[in-house]
Amino acid sequence: MISCTEFIWVYNELFRFIEERGGEEQLIAFWKGIADEFLWNLREYVEKDGLEGMRRYWSHTLGEEGGRHRMTLYDDMFVIDMHECPSAKLIHESGRVRPFERYCEHCLWLYPPILRELGYEVDYDLLSCERGRCRLTVRKPRARGQHTEHGGGPAVEPGPDSGE
Amino acid sequence: MPNVHKDFHGALSFGLKFLEEHYGEEGMREFLEGLAESVYAPLVRDLRTRGLAALRDHWQTVFDIEEGDVAIRMDGDVLVLEVRRCPAISHMQDRGYGIAEHFCEHTRIVNEAVCRAAGYDASVEYDQGTGRCVQRFRRARE
Repeated sequence: MISCTEFIWVYNELFRFIEERGGEEQLIAFWKGIADEFLWNLREYVEKDGLEGMRRYWSHTLGEEGGRHRMTLYDDMFVIDMHECPSAKLIHESGRVRPFERYCEHCLWLYPPILRELGYEVDYDLLSCERGRCRLTVRKPRARGQHTEHGGGPAVEPGPDSGE
Repeated sequence: MPNVHKDFHGALSFGLKFLEEHYGEEGMREFLEGLAESVYAPLVRDLRTRGLAALRDHWQTVFDIEEGDVAIRMDGDVLVLEVRRCPAISHMQDRGYGIAEHFCEHTRIVNEAVCRAAGYDASVEYDQGTGRCVQRFRRARE
């Protein structure tokens, strides 16, 4: 049995294998398949509780995976600032595998499409895969003509499972 | 416990299914055998150095972390793992995830590749439906 504690490295190798065999198209198809098969619970959280559902979903998953991050929930926006992604850190610092250069891209194909399908505006900024730094920003769709000068103060900063 | 994200078992199962569908059984085998040279290279080195004690310690750690039910014993010169509740199968069953038809074959292929690289033999008899298996490891005969 491949242990779930070893799977980050296996993921790295799997992405490379699929890209070498099937090219970018199949790699993206694989990532989309993972989202379709396993992220239905994210969809449920968000359908039920919107931005607060996102905070609850990632509090659970990021809590399990570890790492250092900050979650901020505004009235109209949810932000994850990942300062040190545990997966990317393992890939780049363990020396156990040759880091797949597109490793961090999988998050781009896993999460934003679901949130956009549910009507949110999403930016995913990959700041440094090597250092495990990225930012996910999700905004409620603004009603036509609505002008927002500020989204109100953060309701949650940092998230309860933040490593900080 | 951080880094114990059991949904990864489901992702692995999906990955194996994807490999088999797109590149056939041979593609899946090639991918899994390659892990002995990368992900499991430290285990291969440890097996060469410390013998079956390395595998015993590896499996004990894995099953402790994942809270599986396993009995590990030496039967003469054979290391035997009797898995009574596989953490991967039980997690996927509990969550209602689809399990790849040949999911448990990955254990056979990875075990054989790791052992072959270190001069050992491995075998496994499994029942994927119940999440039970018996794995055996011994030094390869000259």
